[in-house]
Amino acid sequence: MSVAISISGVSKDFRIPGSKRRLRAVDNLCLEIEKQTVFGLLGPNGSGKSTTIKMALGLIRPSQGNCQILGKSSLDPAARMGIGYLPEAPYFQRFLTGRELLTYFGKLSGVPKSELGGRVVRLLSRVGLEDAGDRRVGGYSKGMLQRIGLAQAMVGNPELLILDEPTAGVDPIGAADIASIIRELRDEGKTVLLCSHLLSQVETICDRAAIMVKGKLAIEGAVESLTAASESSSARIDGLTTDARKRLEAFAKEGQLKMSTHRRSLEELFLELSKGASD
Amino acid sequence: MRLFLAMTGLAICALASSFLFREFNFGSSELKFIADFGFGGMTLFGSALAIIVTAQLFLGEIEHRTAMTLLAKPVFRSEFVLGKFLGVWVTVACFIGMLTLCLVLALWMRESSIRLEYPEGFEQGQRLVQYGGIIWFSLAQVFRIGILCALVILFSTYATSSLFAMVMGVLVWIVGQLQHIAIEARGVVDSLVLKGIYSAVGFALPNFHLYDVGEGLAMGEVLPISLVGKLLLYGALYSAFYLAVATASFNRREL
Ligand SMILES: Nc1ncnc2c1ncn2[C@@H]1O[C@H](COP(=O)(O)OP(=O)(O)O)[C@@H](O)[C@H]1O
Ligand SMILES: [Mg+2]
Repeated sequence: MSVAISISGVSKDFRIPGSKRRLRAVDNLCLEIEKQTVFGLLGPNGSGKSTTIKMALGLIRPSQGNCQILGKSSLDPAARMGIGYLPEAPYFQRFLTGRELLTYFGKLSGVPKSELGGRVVRLLSRVGLEDAGDRRVGGYSKGMLQRIGLAQAMVGNPELLILDEPTAGVDPIGAADIASIIRELRDEGKTVLLCSHLLSQVETICDRAAIMVKGKLAIEGAVESLTAASESSSARIDGLTTDARKRLEAFAKEGQLKMSTHRRSLEELFLELSKGASD
Repeated sequence: MRLFLAMTGLAICALASSFLFREFNFGSSELKFIADFGFGGMTLFGSALAIIVTAQLFLGEIEHRTAMTLLAKPVFRSEFVLGKFLGVWVTVACFIGMLTLCLVLALWMRESSIRLEYPEGFEQGQRLVQYGGIIWFSLAQVFRIGILCALVILFSTYATSSLFAMVMGVLVWIVGQLQHIAIEARGVVDSLVLKGIYSAVGFALPNFHLYDVGEGLAMGEVLPISLVGKLLLYGALYSAFYLAVATASFNRREL
């Protein structure tokens, strides 16, 4: 059993109020995420990433197909035993302090009482909220909410973490912190499913990635192979004077100009795919 | 919490205002007046509190998407439903308990002073008001409002706004309160279809009028324990039924 999440032939239609048409948010999606990898789920806004995640968690039911997490059906609450989830734009009970919130979620995740206190303190400092732990969550900034949300996802020491845009609204230093936490989690042997649109970051932390466009899976594979040289390589040099250009051409004719293949970034691939879909 | 305090304050004011009528001095019927006032306030404000708090608590979690984080933990949806129910129910029980305490105090003080003024109204100086009965009555009210909480939870499981759940709560409260009229009408109506509809409504919705048993308590009438037992059982069964339906409905809900 080395598959953490398996999504097979899943579609999701949302009813549009006041009309008979339905909005297909996810269209016949098949995806397998292996254990102990960091998997990036990418796609433009509204491409169905969050919907996919919610179906994997059993928060909404697929219209077709089924999802399994850690070998159990998503609709079985027991499957959520080993999962930590950070919702997109998380929002928590305002009247609790950060510490109380983590304690509350720890209890829900079944953390033994004797361990809970120490773990909460460690998590608060791991996400950089040690000074804010005794303040009410209602007064937290957006980035702080993301951080406490990440801590909340980790409190049950789950083997699978599902993070929906963990770095949205976090400052660059915080985003780098979160990236390093995710790398640590991978080194601990955990599986991470990560939704993001910060592509350069995904590129550095993910092992594999999938790009969704309009509910469909556009491409999936190891990050290295996705960013490998594309067939149509091109180069461009701006701002050359005519004189410089002539010399460059002569230089090239003499066969001294060497071409090296250009590795495309995920960002370019992303733009290509999303443009292709909208044409 | 603020709402809870406001409601308590309001109810106590209502109770206190019954003292304004003291000048009339009805003798022992004044005690009945205070008791009726207290009982009325208890069920009215208790029900209103139950409807508002239940809808807010349940749909608030969904509207603010805190339920999403919660249900992504290994928490069954039935546990969520039951937890919300118990939370509101305990709040209501505290509220009713506090009002009962105030009512008992008010009755006791008034009874003592009336007894001094008109000793002839009291057989061998015994007290008239059935204080034990009042406690049992209040317990029955807690169960009555429990049914209402379970019903509002049921509406909340498919409502998208707390306003809708509250309006539905008020509606069933009124229907439940007036249901005995429909039951009486059933005897008169000839049409079999109408009879069927009346019985269906009578079965699906609780008859809150059954719980209005406090009338004679201040006049020395005894509240039979077996009746209280029946009322508690009735409440428990209806609440369990609605909570089961609510769980089934919530299981299908998309968050
Ligand atoms: N509860 C819902 N009701 C109706 N439409 C929805 C609902 N949730 C999502 N959608 C629609 O489904 C599409 C995919 O949304 P989402 O999965 O949130 O996208 P992403 O997370 O990739 O930005 C969007 O067009 C969105 O409007
Ligand atoms: Mg999203």
